[in-house]
Amino acid sequence: MLDLGTAAQAPAPAARGSLWWDAWYELRRRVVFWLSAAILLIAVAMALFPGPFAALGGPQRGCDLRMSKRPPQEGALFGYDLQGCDYWSQIVHGARASILIGLAVTIFALLIAIVLGLLGGYFGGWADALISRITDVFFGIPFVLGATVILVAFPGHGVWAMTLVLVVLGWTTMTRLMRAQVIAVRGMDFVAAARMLGASHLRIMVKHILPNAIAPVFVLAMLNVGNVIAGEATLDYLGVGLQYPEVSWGLQLNAARSFFTEHPHLLIFPSLFLTATVLGFLMLGDVARDALDPRLH
Amino acid sequence: MTVLMRAQGAAVLLSALLALSACGGGGSSTPGGQSGDAPKRFSVALTEPDHLTPGNTSSSYSIAVLGALFDTLVVIGPDGKPQMRAAESITSDDQKVWTIKIRPGQKFHNGEAVTAESFADAWNAAAYGPNAWTNNYYFANVEGYDKLNPEAPEGSEEAPKPETDKLSGLNVVDPTTLEVTLTAPFSQFPIMLAYTGFAPMPKAALQDPAGYDTAPIGNGPFMLDGRWERNKLIKTKRFDGYAGPRPAKSAGVNFKIYANRETAYTDLRAGNVDLLQTIPPASTSEAKTLLGDRFVSIPGGTMDYLGFPAYDKRFAGADLRKAISMAIDRQAIVDAVFNGAFKPMSSLVAPLVPGYRATACGESCTYDPAKAKALYDEAGGFTGTLNLYFSNADPSYEQWMTAVANQLKQNLGIADIKFRKIPSADYLATLRAHKQDGPFRNNWVMDYPSPQNYLESMWGAENRMGWKSPEFLDLIKRANSAPTMEASIPLYQKAEDLALAEMPMAPLWNWQDQAGHSEKITNVRIDAYSPNLDTITVK
Repeated sequence: MLDLGTAAQAPAPAARGSLWWDAWYELRRRVVFWLSAAILLIAVAMALFPGPFAALGGPQRGCDLRMSKRPPQEGALFGYDLQGCDYWSQIVHGARASILIGLAVTIFALLIAIVLGLLGGYFGGWADALISRITDVFFGIPFVLGATVILVAFPGHGVWAMTLVLVVLGWTTMTRLMRAQVIAVRGMDFVAAARMLGASHLRIMVKHILPNAIAPVFVLAMLNVGNVIAGEATLDYLGVGLQYPEVSWGLQLNAARSFFTEHPHLLIFPSLFLTATVLGFLMLGDVARDALDPRLH
Repeated sequence: MTVLMRAQGAAVLLSALLALSACGGGGSSTPGGQSGDAPKRFSVALTEPDHLTPGNTSSSYSIAVLGALFDTLVVIGPDGKPQMRAAESITSDDQKVWTIKIRPGQKFHNGEAVTAESFADAWNAAAYGPNAWTNNYYFANVEGYDKLNPEAPEGSEEAPKPETDKLSGLNVVDPTTLEVTLTAPFSQFPIMLAYTGFAPMPKAALQDPAGYDTAPIGNGPFMLDGRWERNKLIKTKRFDGYAGPRPAKSAGVNFKIYANRETAYTDLRAGNVDLLQTIPPASTSEAKTLLGDRFVSIPGGTMDYLGFPAYDKRFAGADLRKAISMAIDRQAIVDAVFNGAFKPMSSLVAPLVPGYRATACGESCTYDPAKAKALYDEAGGFTGTLNLYFSNADPSYEQWMTAVANQLKQNLGIADIKFRKIPSADYLATLRAHKQDGPFRNNWVMDYPSPQNYLESMWGAENRMGWKSPEFLDLIKRANSAPTMEASIPLYQKAEDLALAEMPMAPLWNWQDQAGHSEKITNVRIDAYSPNLDTITVK
C-alpha cells in the first residue's frame, strides 16, 4: 500500500511511472488483454454501427415468416429465427441493448459507489452508519427476485427502465469496496499533510483520496459489466425484461427456449455472442486487476 | 376423427405387444397375477380451476374435473352427435316446451337419488341472479329468468332482490320427468344440455354452497376423495354405487395442479404425471418423438380470433378490419409458432361444428398483401400507435403477436406497433370493460358443438368488440327458433356471413389439442368432447 501511496504523490494520471502508466505497460504485454480487447472492440462496433455488420436493414425488417427457424444456409449465415428474420442481422442488432445496458448500469453504479463510498469512508460517524445500513438493505435483496418484482409491478419498460432497476440492485458491492478503500487511505500521512496545509474536505477527497482508492473499484466495475449483461439477459429470458420491438440476446434465447431441441441454431448463436461479450469484459477486468495490483509487480 | 381411430389403434397395438411379451416371458414374470390385482389410480395434470360447482364455472380446467365427477343429461359422442346419458329421452313438439325423462336408479355420491328435482334445484341456483354464478346466462332462455335477474332501477347500481328463487319454466312432473319451458323455440337445447353447467346437484349442495365448491358431490363414475387442496391436488376415487353407462376402470384419478402447462409437460416427460391433455404447441414435434404412440392429437373446438375495438373510431370501418385480416399470413404463423399443429381458419366456427364451411370467410381471410394494402389505403389507413392486446398466460401469444406485428408493418406499412401484455387474471375484465384501444387476442372454448354457441356468445349482444348489428341478432333469434337442428343451420350460416362481412373479429386458427400419457396407463380414448377418464386402466 505504501507503494501505491507514493506513486500517487504526483497525480498526473498518464505520466510515466504512475500507477496507470505502469498498468498499461503491464497490460500490453498480456495476450489475454489483446484478445478481450479485440472481442469487445467488435462487440462495441456492432452496438454502435449495426448497419454495416448486418446483411439486411434495421431490426424486424425484411422478415419472411415462411423462412421461420430454417438452419444456416447460403445467404443466411446463421439461418433464420422464429419470426423468419435473418438471424445474423438480428443478433448484430441484439448487441446494442446488452452492451448499452451493461456499460450504463456500471457507470451509474460506479458514480454512486464513488460518491457514497467517499462520503461514508471519509467522514465516518453517523453518515457512514446511515450509508452502510442503506447499502446493507439493498445488498440483502436477491437479484432475480428483486428485479422480477419491480419489473412485473411496472410493466412497459424499455432500456432505461431496465438500467434503473439494475443500478438499484447493483450498486452495493462497489460502494462497500470504495468505502473500505477510502478508510484505508484516509489515515495515511499524505492525507494528514494535506489537511494540515489547510486543504478543504472536498479537495482532500477528490485530489488525494480518490486517485489512491479507485483502482480496485475500477477493476470490480470492469468485471461488473459482464455480470450486468448476463443479468439483463436473464431477465429478458424470464420474460420480465425488454419487450418487443426491442431486440436483445436475452429475448432471442427466450424465443429459442421452446424450439431448441429441434432447431439448436436458435439457441447456439445468441449464446455464443452473449458468452463471448461477457467473457470479454470478465477477462479484461481480470487482467486489469493484475496490472493495477502493485503487489504482483 | 381419423386421429382418434389412430390413437385407439395404437392402444390396441400396445396391448397386443404387451400380451406377446408376457408370453415370451416363459413364466418368470407374473403378468396374469398383476392384471388380476385391484385397479390402481393414475394422475392427470391440471391447472388450478376457479370453482368446482357446476353452475359456477366455465373454466376448462374445472370442466376437466367435473366431467369425471358428474353425468350430464346428454353427452356429445365422438361422432359429434348428442347421446343420452343421465337422461332417457329429451323430446319436444314445438322446440319450446321440452320434456326430459331421467333414467331411474341413479345415485349421487352421498347416496341421494338423482331425480328431476336435482336438476331443477341446480338450475334454479345457477339462474338466481344474487348468486352471481358464472353460468347464469345459459339459463336466459328459460321462462322466468327475468324474474330471478331483475334489472337495477334507473340511477341505482344495486339490483332489487328477486321475488322468487325458482324458474317458472321448470316443472317437476314426477321424480323422473322434468318439463322445461323456454321463452322462445330453441332447437339447440338438447346439445346445450351436454354442457357441465347443466349438471344436477344434491340437496347437500344447497345447504352449504361454499363447502360444496371445494368438495362437490356428483353423480359420475368418480367421487371426490377428501377436499380440493388449492393449487395442489384434487383427489378422486371410484364411485362404487355408480349405475350409469360408464363405470370407472381405475381406482381413482389424482388431478395434480400445475402453475402452467410447460411445467406439467416437463413432469409428463419425467413420468411424474400420467396424462397431460394440453402439451404446449411449441413442444409438439419434440413430444411426438419422445412419446411415440403415447402422443395423441385431438381435433378441438377452440378457436383463436383477432378482435377489433369497433367502438374506437379508428377501427369503425369494416374495410380497415378486413385489410388487417388479409395482411396476416395464418398458415405461416401456424407453421412457425405452433409447428403446424393448428389449423388456419376461414370460418368463425370450428370444423367439428355442424354447419361448418371451410371457406366461409373467402377473400377476407386469405393472405394477400397486395390486396390488403390496396384496401388499407382505400379505407384511409391508420394513424397513431397500434396497440396489440394479449394476456401473459402463455409465451406463444407473444410469439404469434410478434409475427402479426411484423406482417402489419411489412404489408400495410403501420410503423408504430406496441404490445400491451395484460396479466392473465385481468385480461377478460379489460376486454369486457372495453379498455382495449387496439386489436386483441380473443379465444373461444366450445361448450357444445353448435354454431349458436360461437356466434351468440362472441358476436351477440354485449360483445367484446362493441359491435352492434340488429340484423345479426335477428338472424340468430330466427335460427334458434327453427323447427329442427337441420333447419337452423342455414340461418346460422347467414348470421356468420354477416359477421364476416363486417369483420368485427377475424378468425385466426383452430386448436388441435395435443395430449400425451405415460406408459402406466392404457385405453386412453380422448376425443374432442371428453377425455373419457373412465375408460383408462392402470397397469
